[in-house]
Amino acid sequence: MTPNFAVVQIEMPHWRTFRLWLPLFLLWIPLILLSPIILIVVVAVCLVGRVSPLRALGAFWAITCSLPGTEVTVHTDGNHVRVKIL
Amino acid sequence: MNENRRQILEMLAGGKITADEAERLLAALDPAPTAVPEFTGTTSNGAPVRTRAKYLRVLVEADESMTGVKGQTTVNVRVPMQLLRAGVRLASLIPAQAHNQLDEAFNRKGIPITLSQIKPENLEELIDHLEDVTVDVDGRDGNMTKVKVFCE
Repeated sequence: MTPNFAVVQIEMPHWRTFRLWLPLFLLWIPLILLSPIILIVVVAVCLVGRVSPLRALGAFWAITCSLPGTEVTVHTDGNHVRVKIL
Repeated sequence: MNENRRQILEMLAGGKITADEAERLLAALDPAPTAVPEFTGTTSNGAPVRTRAKYLRVLVEADESMTGVKGQTTVNVRVPMQLLRAGVRLASLIPAQAHNQLDEAFNRKGIPITLSQIKPENLEELIDHLEDVTVDVDGRDGNMTKVKVFCE
């Protein structure tokens, strides 16, 4: 399953908690529109690098699909930043 | 997309639930396992059943002397094991002509690895065994940095 949202949460002392939901699924729209160009570029790059385009696309698709669940939290001096991919 | 997940997203889009509620519901669909992975049940003959680790967790705690930032800094990274598996597949995309250069670079750093000898099944095995790995690093001589790597 591809990532649908990225949640960015920022907490700072003396500030209200700021949480931003980034709708990653909306990236499908430009991606689909540009897909012919992207496909040509990917195939060209793979041929130059002597890599199978199918394997390359498969690997990148697998990475994209396994991104949900990734979480990074940094806390320092009362500041708190959290990025979560759902 | 999972049907339950789709319903939650539709409810969020329709304004029936808040973003916080949606996050809680999505989290409930994919519950995070407990911190220590180990054995969670037994088979009919009493043998323990091991659950498969879903995430690799990296915890870093560093003090002021290391970061230059006032107070303690904590970094907590959770990486899905599936992402690691997908990542190692990228290694199979390295062009053959780059193997020699990489091998030489590894050897210069004292890492005797021959990339061409590493097969996808070896990498899968490596990831599987990562589930058993726990790394604890504690600083010495007043350095309070702690690094913890484990699967959960």
